[in-house]
Amino acid sequence: MRSDFVVREVVTGLRRNVTMTVAMVLTTAISLGLVGTGLLAVRTIDRTEQLYSDRVEVQVALTSDVSANDKDCSQPVCAGLKSTLENSPLVESVRFENQEQAYERYKELFAGQSLADLVRPQSLPATLRVRLSDQQAGADAVRQAMAGQVGVRNVIDQRDVVAKLFDFLGGVRNVTFALAMVQAVAALLLISNTVQVSAFTRRTEVGVMRLVGATRWYTQLPFLIEAVVTGVVGALIAVGGLLVGKFLFIDELLSGIVSNGVVPPIEVADIIWVSPILVMIGAGIAAVTGYVTLRLYVRL
Amino acid sequence: MIDAKYADVPSGWSWAPRGRVGCQPDVHPPVASASVIRLERVTKLYKTSTRPALDRVSVAVDKGEFVFLIGPSGSGKSTFLRLLLREDVPTRGNIFVSDLNVAKLPRRRVPRLRQRIGCVFQDFRLLPNKTVGGNVAFALEVIGKQSATIKKVVPEVLDLVGLQGKAERMPHELSGGEQQRVAIARAFVNRPLVLLADEPTGNLDPDTSQDIMLLLERINRTGTTVVMATHDHSIVDSMRRRVVELDLGQVVRDESRGVYGVGR
Repeated sequence: MRSDFVVREVVTGLRRNVTMTVAMVLTTAISLGLVGTGLLAVRTIDRTEQLYSDRVEVQVALTSDVSANDKDCSQPVCAGLKSTLENSPLVESVRFENQEQAYERYKELFAGQSLADLVRPQSLPATLRVRLSDQQAGADAVRQAMAGQVGVRNVIDQRDVVAKLFDFLGGVRNVTFALAMVQAVAALLLISNTVQVSAFTRRTEVGVMRLVGATRWYTQLPFLIEAVVTGVVGALIAVGGLLVGKFLFIDELLSGIVSNGVVPPIEVADIIWVSPILVMIGAGIAAVTGYVTLRLYVRL
Repeated sequence: MIDAKYADVPSGWSWAPRGRVGCQPDVHPPVASASVIRLERVTKLYKTSTRPALDRVSVAVDKGEFVFLIGPSGSGKSTFLRLLLREDVPTRGNIFVSDLNVAKLPRRRVPRLRQRIGCVFQDFRLLPNKTVGGNVAFALEVIGKQSATIKKVVPEVLDLVGLQGKAERMPHELSGGEQQRVAIARAFVNRPLVLLADEPTGNLDPDTSQDIMLLLERINRTGTTVVMATHDHSIVDSMRRRVVELDLGQVVRDESRGVYGVGR
């Protein structure tokens, strides 16, 4: 196989069909950009889950009278609840947070916002913060054991709150993947069409190649490489788009929750992790589409 | 699948010198081993037509022969050439080019067949965006020849066809006759066993046609078998080479040193 010949044919082909090539590159880029966004969402979801698995607690909020009168969980009601929890094998540790501590945390959380000034220490309940050794069974067990007990106001499972965040991220992922699929169909059709047009514009060359006994690979390879090149270029543009998107939009959009540690930030490293996947998808889809098109529609 | 297709060919049947179908004096006793091209009772039916394009055609062409394939339009000349090139497969019968059984050749070996056959057409089929040299070199590049070989061989073949010094010209800068010479150079550059020419003089004036015929004759003298389909009476009559005449898909005449036909 003479590589110089193949390279020359590919360059000629791309140049001859320049508008089609640009359309193909852009469609592929948008499609792969969406796939990349979806992959980043998946990665963020995984990271967030990891982040929360260490931190998620079940909070047992105490009634206002217990909260007000017991600063260190030394009185019978609170101490009883605490020891019940501590004796459970599903519980790793129990920490008591009194009204003052809760107020400090609240102020910290809503620092600079008017909400922080509205709240008095007395309006916040003291809580028993339960860290579970068994995330699944533990939460239900704590809920069942604590609900309705004397001194217990309610039981808050932080996972319920986090689940909403995951639902949102999952939604982002699903929407981007759905859009990516639609775009991918458009990209596939464009690649197929471009290969056909490319083969048509070069029918004289291909005719001569067949007549002088060029092998199928020699006749088809330039078209395949052309498709793959556009796929790869599309993927690279998609990666560029993700980087631009990160710095221009995502960083700003997520700045609040990232700095509070609610979700992990999207790093350049994440995009670098995504890029080879996009390049492989781009090249692979283009190659397969090109090959199938040549087999089905183009007589070489 | 191929076997089933040819199931109606009697299994014991072999190509025998019983004479060509409908042929006149059998002046070419076929010697199978020397035949470069051999058609054995080849029939080609197209779906769109009830009459076969070729009807039990048996022809053998020896190495180094020059054969005119004549006949009116629709007589089967083009089908004959297409089958030799494996552009199409016969409905029945066998075709051999050198030692290759063309009809039964697997697809992946078709390039090997075509590398042994050079082709020239009425419309030249040159690549308009490549130079004369580039057109000829293209035929070698696409079959993977080394560039050193190409650099050596292309000028030689351009000399042979009388285009020395014109390697850098573009096809549109050449006359019709010169363009056909480029096409012949391209067909011959890989030293094929057989040169098929489909009305190569169809677009040329008589004088230029004569030059092209001299060139084809010169190529024939190198030992290359030439099969030329033509309507040109004067050329056939003046060359006095073997003439195979087709009519309605059948060989109606096969004579050495023939003419186009009396009273035609």
